Amino acid sequence: MTTDALSGLKVLDLSWVVAGPLIGRTLADFGAQVVRVESSVRVETARLMQPFHGGVQDKEGSALFGNCNAGKLGLTLDLKSAEGQQVVRDLVAWADVVVESFSPGQLAKWGLDYDTLAATKPDLVMLSTSIAGQHGPWSTLAGFGNVGSSLSGFQYLTGYEDRLPMGTFGPYTDYVGPRLALVTLLAALEHRRRTGEGAYIDVAQVEAGIFFLAPQVAHFGYDGTIAARHGNRDAELAPHGVFACRPEDGNDRFVAIAVRDTGEWRALARAMSRPDLAERDDLATAEGRRAAQDELEGAVAGWAAGQVASDVERLLQDVGVPAHLAVTSDDYPADEQLAHRGHLVELPHPRHGTTYVEGPRYALSETPGRPRAAAPALGQHNEQVLTEILGYDADRIAVLTEGGILR
Amino acid sequence: MLEHLRVLDLTDERGLLCGRLLADLGADVVQVEPADGSTARQAPPLPGTTAPTSMFWEAYAAGKRGIAVDLDRDDDVADLRRLAEVADIVVTSWPRALLERLGLDPATLRAARPELVCTVVSAFGWDGPKASYADTDLVVWAAGGPLAPHRDGDLPPLRISVPQAFLHAAADAAAGTMLAVLARGTTGRGQVVDVSAQEAVGVATLARVLATAVGDDHPEWQTTPGQRTGGRTDQSGSGAATPNSLKKWHCADGMVELHLSMGPAAGAFTNNLFAWLAEEGAVEEPVASWDWRTLPDRLVAGELTHDDLDVARAAVRAFLLTRTKAEVLDAAIRRRLLCMAIFDMADIAASPHLEERGFWGHVDIGDRDVRIPGRMAQVRGPEGPRVRGRAPRLGEHTDVVLKEWLNR
Repeated sequence: MTTDALSGLKVLDLSWVVAGPLIGRTLADFGAQVVRVESSVRVETARLMQPFHGGVQDKEGSALFGNCNAGKLGLTLDLKSAEGQQVVRDLVAWADVVVESFSPGQLAKWGLDYDTLAATKPDLVMLSTSIAGQHGPWSTLAGFGNVGSSLSGFQYLTGYEDRLPMGTFGPYTDYVGPRLALVTLLAALEHRRRTGEGAYIDVAQVEAGIFFLAPQVAHFGYDGTIAARHGNRDAELAPHGVFACRPEDGNDRFVAIAVRDTGEWRALARAMSRPDLAERDDLATAEGRRAAQDELEGAVAGWAAGQVASDVERLLQDVGVPAHLAVTSDDYPADEQLAHRGHLVELPHPRHGTTYVEGPRYALSETPGRPRAAAPALGQHNEQVLTEILGYDADRIAVLTEGGILR
Repeated sequence: MLEHLRVLDLTDERGLLCGRLLADLGADVVQVEPADGSTARQAPPLPGTTAPTSMFWEAYAAGKRGIAVDLDRDDDVADLRRLAEVADIVVTSWPRALLERLGLDPATLRAARPELVCTVVSAFGWDGPKASYADTDLVVWAAGGPLAPHRDGDLPPLRISVPQAFLHAAADAAAGTMLAVLARGTTGRGQVVDVSAQEAVGVATLARVLATAVGDDHPEWQTTPGQRTGGRTDQSGSGAATPNSLKKWHCADGMVELHLSMGPAAGAFTNNLFAWLAEEGAVEEPVASWDWRTLPDRLVAGELTHDDLDVARAAVRAFLLTRTKAEVLDAAIRRRLLCMAIFDMADIAASPHLEERGFWGHVDIGDRDVRIPGRMAQVRGPEGPRVRGRAPRLGEHTDVVLKEWLNR
């Protein structure tokens, strides 16, 4: 019988979409009890986003929502009502941790902000996540993570030199913010464990995003260089790119290839049956290969076009050259390494029979995490949360139900 | 918050960020380098022609102390093992074969010290069929899912122009480490935390990696708003399903990101945008009075067509050309618009918001005072994370660390 890393931890999750809910998802994986509050009237955005079970758009079918909320208990609540706010206060009294992602200032209007809540619960650990933070000139900025990726520099840095900036795939700072938020939150829990002191944590997606561009920030500060986008090329390594292979079943296929040193370059050239390139003196240094980048990319592209992408991966890895198929969602369930680690987790689902979520991204040898259940349907655990966690009696629940509070 | 923790940091560029985050949170992080310096000191950006200084190293080794050891000398390696015996955490991204040869692999270290949390960061994980694959950031990006769906027209899939995959993994390593530290608070025992960068980047696909598994064979995000591709329109407000060229707009001094969101969840933001245009006389009826919350229904019902949307877009395009990035940003805040200036490094450095929030930390790089991101989050109560100082010089703290940790 293994213990869970976060056994006994109680979490109230008032966040929505991706950046906030991913935090509670990890806490649930590692043994915390997480109550996720949402509205069935103002349906949360992630429920409206693909991919969907069976490809059918449905608020109970989003795999994105499922991935962000697996293992949580779901409670639907009208937070605008005084009665709904009282339920939240009762949940705060129960919780060790509160995570929220309302527009900065919203919770204060409801009397549910950290200062108010901590007055009666000084050991509360509360985390707010927002686009630009809780204070400062941009704090009232509305927006999703793609606003974050514009302000943090990622939009500008993704694309080809001679084309429009392409921007990132989806709201990129939604993938960065929760990682840094989680590290800080877990450190606050360690501090609380040792001292009994709570904490308030203000995470800004823009700032988290800039953290992942710290070397480029330093470069500007050092000599004024403004980092530029350059397709798939690397500042040092060459060749370095993504190459089309032979289409399979009518689908485009690609392989990523990167050469780190001259030995790998020669191995690649020989694998392409180009001993002439392998022997060329001017290509024996990274500098020389960068100077000949157009030519080398052309040679690799010409060779790869006739190959099967997964064959290229194996052929090049066999001779020590970094290469990998560009994995699509069709490939993902079959990837042997991901399967070895059990990354794709099958869970029973009341509506769909089974569903799939990503597993934890770190394997802990003694207290491994795992998603305990599929994400909740709207209001799935109303009764359980109000009865078992809050100890409300049937009459009180009936009043809330009839008052339209549990929606 | 982590002042009580000692971290022995055996990372290269793959895991360097992990120790920076733990150091920011107060831990005593000792970065170990081979005698000829960490390979992270060669990681780009590398300004300067005579003695290149890695901005990657300076940014992500900041706040650590540094020791240098000769990995070919048994005495030096024995010192590393002794340091691991008095550490709370060892984090490494060195190759598995090297760790095992030196007796610094997790099994050996934990046998000597069961309380140790030993975190390993690698491209594909500690073991498994691809564990020994040759890797780079791009290769991990391809293997983990974010690369393939990111297309610019018919061109091959595109990465972000600077390395990212291992930053996700290294940040995850810090979180995994903290989970193990918290577990140790209960059990008294350490454990191994095995971080796979391939797994780490799956989240950066917005669950696209799950599409086939859940039976969605047409999760195309590159649908056009209002066009009934696959029977659905992008109502998310996030713009995730909208093609790039429809989200980038030229303004007077650069570019802005703007998604004309529609539907009940986010259509109100577009109403706010058109209210601005209407006030400035930049849009005519009936477009000016559209309620974007109801637009998907009206498109489905055939009341409005794709051509009508083009009229609206043309009005926005003409209007934005008359405004600067700063004006657009200001309006986005005052009027609640999903509209944003596309910032480069100079714009970020000039941000009054980041300045006011005390986001920056100052570190010495060579003889220059340089600002780097200093606070991953802001904390009230205990002292929050902040960059603790500049990156160490090679072997700068070898003597003092041996003295403090090993009483030499």
